[in-house]
Amino acid sequence: MRRDIFQAIADPTRRAIIALIALQAMTPNAIAAHFDTSRQAVSKHLRILTECELVTQDQQGREIYYRLEIDKMKEIDEWLEQYRKIWESRFEQLDVLLTELKQQKKQERKK
Amino acid sequence: MKPAEASLPSDTEVLVKRSFDAPAELVWRAYMEPELLRRWCGGHAGWSMPVCEMDMRVGGRYQWRWRNDEDGMEFGFTGEVLEVVPHSRLVHTQIFDPGNMGIAMGGEPSIITVTFDEVNGVTNVATSIKYASKADRDEAFATGMTEGMEMNYKQLDEVLAVIGD
Repeated sequence: MRRDIFQAIADPTRRAIIALIALQAMTPNAIAAHFDTSRQAVSKHLRILTECELVTQDQQGREIYYRLEIDKMKEIDEWLEQYRKIWESRFEQLDVLLTELKQQKKQERKK
Repeated sequence: MKPAEASLPSDTEVLVKRSFDAPAELVWRAYMEPELLRRWCGGHAGWSMPVCEMDMRVGGRYQWRWRNDEDGMEFGFTGEVLEVVPHSRLVHTQIFDPGNMGIAMGGEPSIITVTFDEVNGVTNVATSIKYASKADRDEAFATGMTEGMEMNYKQLDEVLAVIGD
């Protein structure tokens, strides 16, 4: 399955995790303490965030710390470009339709 | 015409601008009449638009749904019409309909405002998509990305097929 940043931020718990570790790197236990969900659920979110390359793991002694990759958030800008392209491809079809409608109108006037 | 421009005026809003070489009256029709709308919103390669129902009076509702021809995946939008000023301004709500994509989308409806401004036979169209919250906009990122990538990949496939011949 393809993972990307947009999948990462689509889930409210994951967004909360991102906000939490944006301030400082944290262990899974420390992160889980902020949520009502199970430790397993938090681990799953961390795994998805890691697969999206939005967080990286940092081994310090016996503990693993999760840290946010700020640069990755910049992909939002690229998303906007994607969004623009979707609209543009629709609008190009609208151009074609409008040319047709203009022709029709001319024809009607001639009648 | 110059390609569409997209910007993020605020944390909860996306603004898309584009000009069309046609009078506002015709552009308006393309937005208001289901058969015409289907022509430009439903024609992406690999996708069909099985549902395009629109009652475009104030208080009326619309429903759009797209279907991927290959895997049967469906998604769409529904909403209520809030404001209609012929040839000039259209405001409606919009709620994402996840169809069978299995994407849970909570949140309040977004507000779409489309303005049409005709100058010398050219119509400038500005579309503002105002999400109820930043979280809702971020969710739209997720699904918009899915939709966009899917459609663009299909187009890429077509190009590759032509080159391959």
